[in-house]
Amino acid sequence: MLLPTAQARETYLSSIYSGCNILLDKGVELDCQSVEFDDVRYHIQVSLRYPQFLVLSMSLPTPPPETIFVDGLPFGAIEAIKAAYGVLVQILDPPKDGYNLTMRLDLVQLPQDEELQYDLLEKVASVREVVLGAPLRVVLKHLASKRVPPDLDRLIALVHRPRESFFLAPEADKVTVVYPMRFNDSIDTVLAISFLEEFVEARRTAGLNNAPPCFWSPSPPQVLEEAPTEALSANSGFVTFVIYPRHVEGRKLDRTVWSLLTFHAYVSYHVKCSEGFMHTRMRRRVESLIQALDRAKPEGEDLKKNSQNKSSKRLSLMEIRNNSNS
Amino acid sequence: MANTSRSYLTCIRNTLEAAMCLQNFPCQEVERHNKPEVELKTSPELLLNPVLICRNEAEKCLIEISINSLRISIKVKQADELENILTKKFLRFLSMRAEAFQVLRRKPVQGYDISFLVTNYHCEDMQKHKLIDFIVQFMEARSLYA
Repeated sequence: MLLPTAQARETYLSSIYSGCNILLDKGVELDCQSVEFDDVRYHIQVSLRYPQFLVLSMSLPTPPPETIFVDGLPFGAIEAIKAAYGVLVQILDPPKDGYNLTMRLDLVQLPQDEELQYDLLEKVASVREVVLGAPLRVVLKHLASKRVPPDLDRLIALVHRPRESFFLAPEADKVTVVYPMRFNDSIDTVLAISFLEEFVEARRTAGLNNAPPCFWSPSPPQVLEEAPTEALSANSGFVTFVIYPRHVEGRKLDRTVWSLLTFHAYVSYHVKCSEGFMHTRMRRRVESLIQALDRAKPEGEDLKKNSQNKSSKRLSLMEIRNNSNS
Repeated sequence: MANTSRSYLTCIRNTLEAAMCLQNFPCQEVERHNKPEVELKTSPELLLNPVLICRNEAEKCLIEISINSLRISIKVKQADELENILTKKFLRFLSMRAEAFQVLRRKPVQGYDISFLVTNYHCEDMQKHKLIDFIVQFMEARSLYA
C-alpha cells in the first residue's frame, strides 16, 4: 500500500470490497488500522451488533501553519464527501479521538448493480483524494469554467505531507501549482534534482505538447512571494506546473487532482526505484570484474607447474604434508 | 570517448607491464617479516620513482613501485554531484567485497578514488598479463559503475 499508483488504490479497494460481501452475508467483528503513504491513517471498525454499518476513521498528515483547516479538515472537504458518496455515508461529529474524520458507511445503501457498486467502493477507497483534494478540486472546477474562485486568497497552501504544503495560485485562465521539494537523505536530494530536471526536459519533446508546462528552479518562483519563509526551505528546489482549462475538462479532472495531490510521492517512489536500479547495475559490474580477475588465475596443469617456484609463505598445511609424502 | 582514452590506457598498460617485475623480498628490519615495501617505505633503496599518468586534472593514475609490491591509485572523473555520489557508492560496494578482489586495497591512497595493491604473491598466483588486463578493463568501462 506504499505505492501512490492505481494498484495501491486497487489493493485498498479490493480489501474493502471483499470485506463488504462478507459483512453483508454474516456479521463479522472487525477492527483494523492501516497506514498509507504520507502519514494518512485509517481505522476501520465493524461491530457484531450493527453489521450493516462500517465505521471508517481517517487521520490526515499534520498541517503546516499556512494551510487553512476548518474543524480539522481542508476547506470544502465535507461538501466533497457528501457529493461523492451521497446517502452511503454519514459523517459523525465529533470524529474519533486522534482522527480528523469519522464516517459511517451504511452498507445496505450500496447499489445492487455490480458495476455501480464497484464504482462507489472505488470512491470509498480513494477517500484520501476526496478529503485532501477537496480544495484542489474546488479551484480546478472554477478553472474549468474559467472563473477565479471567490472568497479565496491569491495563494492557497494545501497540505500533502506532514508539515509540508504545496501552493496554488489560481487565475481566470490558468492555475499555477508549485511544489517545494524536500528530501531527508542527501543522496535522495541529488537523485530527485536530476530526476526533476529530466522531467522538465521530457516535457519539451514533441509528443507531450499538450501536457501542463513544467518548470524546475532551485530558488522559489515569483508566485511564492507572499508565502511564509519557513514554507520555502526546500532542499531539492521548486517544481511548477501550469494547469490550463483543457487539463480539467470533464473526466480529466479526477486524474489531474490525483496526480497533483500525489506528486511528491510519485517523485519519491521513482527516486527509490532508481536507487535500486543502480544497486543492481553495480552488483552486476562487480560480478563481471571478479570474473575478469578470476580469469587471471591459471587453472589445473599450470597451477602444479608454477607451484614449485612459489615463495614459501604461500605453502599451506596441506601442501607441506603432500610435499613431505612425495 | 573510447578513442580519446586509448592513449591514456595504453600508457598505463605499458607502465604496468614494465613495472610488474616483482620478486619475493623479506623485510630487512624485522626477521621473518615479509611485507609490501611500497606500503612501509622503510628503506629508500627498495623503492623506485613513482609514475604519475594524467589524462587531465580530474583523471589521473599514480603507480608506485617497490621491489616486492606495486600500488596503483586511480582517480576517476566526477563531473557533477550525481557522479560523485555514484562513485562513492560504487567504491563502498567494492571495498565491502575486497576479499573477493584480492588485489584491491581496502582504503584508497589519499587524493585518489581507488587503489590496488599488487604483491609478488599475486603475480605468482595469477598470470601477470591477465592481471594487467583486469586493471585496464576496470578503467576502460564507459563509467566506473555502468
